[in-house]
Amino acid sequence: MEGTRKQTGRRAFLKAGGIVAATGALGSMGAFVTGTGEDASRSGNERKRARWIKAVSRPTLGETNADYKRFSGFDMFALYPSLKTQRDGAGSFEAEQASKDKRLVAWTNEKKPGFSLPDQQLSEGAWTVMRSARPGAGLLSWTRPPEDVPTEPIAPRYTAAPEEMANTVKAAARLYGARLVGIAPMNEAYVNLKVPHRERPHKERPPKDAQQKDAHSTVHPHEGEDQKSADSLAHHHADNDQKCERGKEQKTDQPPQDKEIVFADVDVPEVTDAKFMIPRKMKWVVAIAIPMDIELLARTPTPLGDAASALGYSHSAFVVSSLAVFIRGLGYEAIPCVNDTAQSIPFALDAGLGELSRLNKLVTPDFGPAVRLCKVFTDMPMACDKPVDFGLVEFCKTCKKCAEACPSRALSFDDEPSFKTKGPWNNPGHKTWYEDSYKCYQYWQKSGSACGVCLASCPYTKGDQAWIHNAVKATASIAPAADGVFRIMDNAFGYGKQHDPEQWWTKDSPSSRRG
Amino acid sequence: MTNDADTFTITMRKRPWWFWAFAELWLLSEVVLVQTALASARESEYRAATISWIAAAVLAVAGAFGWLRRKDSHKPNEPNKSV
Repeated sequence: MEGTRKQTGRRAFLKAGGIVAATGALGSMGAFVTGTGEDASRSGNERKRARWIKAVSRPTLGETNADYKRFSGFDMFALYPSLKTQRDGAGSFEAEQASKDKRLVAWTNEKKPGFSLPDQQLSEGAWTVMRSARPGAGLLSWTRPPEDVPTEPIAPRYTAAPEEMANTVKAAARLYGARLVGIAPMNEAYVNLKVPHRERPHKERPPKDAQQKDAHSTVHPHEGEDQKSADSLAHHHADNDQKCERGKEQKTDQPPQDKEIVFADVDVPEVTDAKFMIPRKMKWVVAIAIPMDIELLARTPTPLGDAASALGYSHSAFVVSSLAVFIRGLGYEAIPCVNDTAQSIPFALDAGLGELSRLNKLVTPDFGPAVRLCKVFTDMPMACDKPVDFGLVEFCKTCKKCAEACPSRALSFDDEPSFKTKGPWNNPGHKTWYEDSYKCYQYWQKSGSACGVCLASCPYTKGDQAWIHNAVKATASIAPAADGVFRIMDNAFGYGKQHDPEQWWTKDSPSSRRG
Repeated sequence: MTNDADTFTITMRKRPWWFWAFAELWLLSEVVLVQTALASARESEYRAATISWIAAAVLAVAGAFGWLRRKDSHKPNEPNKSV
């Protein structure tokens, strides 16, 4: 028995060792998949990111050449009426708008899923905050209200090491609602040339989604569309709200003009009747991503799905306006922007929030492309973050799911990104997969929504509850050979398909969600 | 177990290393599949949840079948090969 006991003891020891080893292996895998690392701490936010999100010296896609210039500011929202008229003849744009309005009324009356009155008004309500925000005014004011300007400094401005300054700002941004925050150096090339005044001859339904949605649908992110376009739409609607009463435009004596955006050696930002002036001393940009509600996004292309964008925009306006007040309180200047004023995507790329994708939009490792971007310019010195690489560009080369899912065939099927643009809505001079924003926006008119199918179909757009998703992303970051299998699995498991709009109210709304 | 009138002799066969590795892999797969099923259901990804539940069930049945088959594989007149 002595020998048996010894043998049993040895076996128990080996078993225990095996369990410890297995636990250690799982723990290591878990740390790699969800844990933290040196690279992550350098590349992102104060909250460290997973080890498979590697910091790199430059963005993995979006390299520029000599053709890259400041974007005009005129995205698809501004260009579409003239392009439509040019392609389909005089009156075609107005006819299309009238047809869309008529169709929407009919769909509302017949309670088409996703187009009922509650579905449409959900989006209307979600736009509320964003509607009160216009570039340089209201929530997005570039300056302190006169009553808040101290005649004498109340206290010395806040100073600390650049890393600590960055962490302070990131902590505040997170408190206000940002989920991803990074610091990028100011790059004047990313700032638009103008803030266009948008005139819409027709009463439009409230903005539907737009973020990257609109981004992709409109101009290109890196160029000047992405969030910008969305923003533009939002601002346009804000304009409409102020000028229209139930769709009837009121005439003003002086038509609004486009305003130039210039950099100048001034102490504080200035907004005049003719231009927006950014102080040259503003050398830092806080890039922020606000996740969209993926339950709503899964209902695109419907007005119900549009509420995901609307809510993202309103959250963005709240976050940047709050953060700007915070920074000013520390003794520095701050310019809050949503899609206006500058391209959000290149700043987000430089700040390490994600990578540029086949959508021609930012895809984050955490939320995929289902985010709205916004930013704050400031003269508060902060340590900058680095761009990241999590294998997305290689994945996009293989996947192409967004391009196949796009109802308007607006996205590129090319294997490799290029410098070849698709139209005047693209800002040339950077390497990417350019999209056909005209086709995209035309589908918006046809569908009566701001679409967003590309955002919902991306394999990176997933909930964060299943462990397997992080494991797949981690594997894709180091083993591009598996990308094709992951794409097949994504389809097989039914991801990216439209969810039943009616079910949102009964099963998937915040009040009825489980967990 | 054999009986030579005065003593019992118990023969315990060690399971090979790969058995434990396989068992741990099986257990890990079960845990991941069940977690995926539950999480997918919470996220309203019902097809993913269904597939995960089915895969977990198939794996559980396969594991049980393998275990029982191995347990019953000894012959009555030979030393028991299973513990």
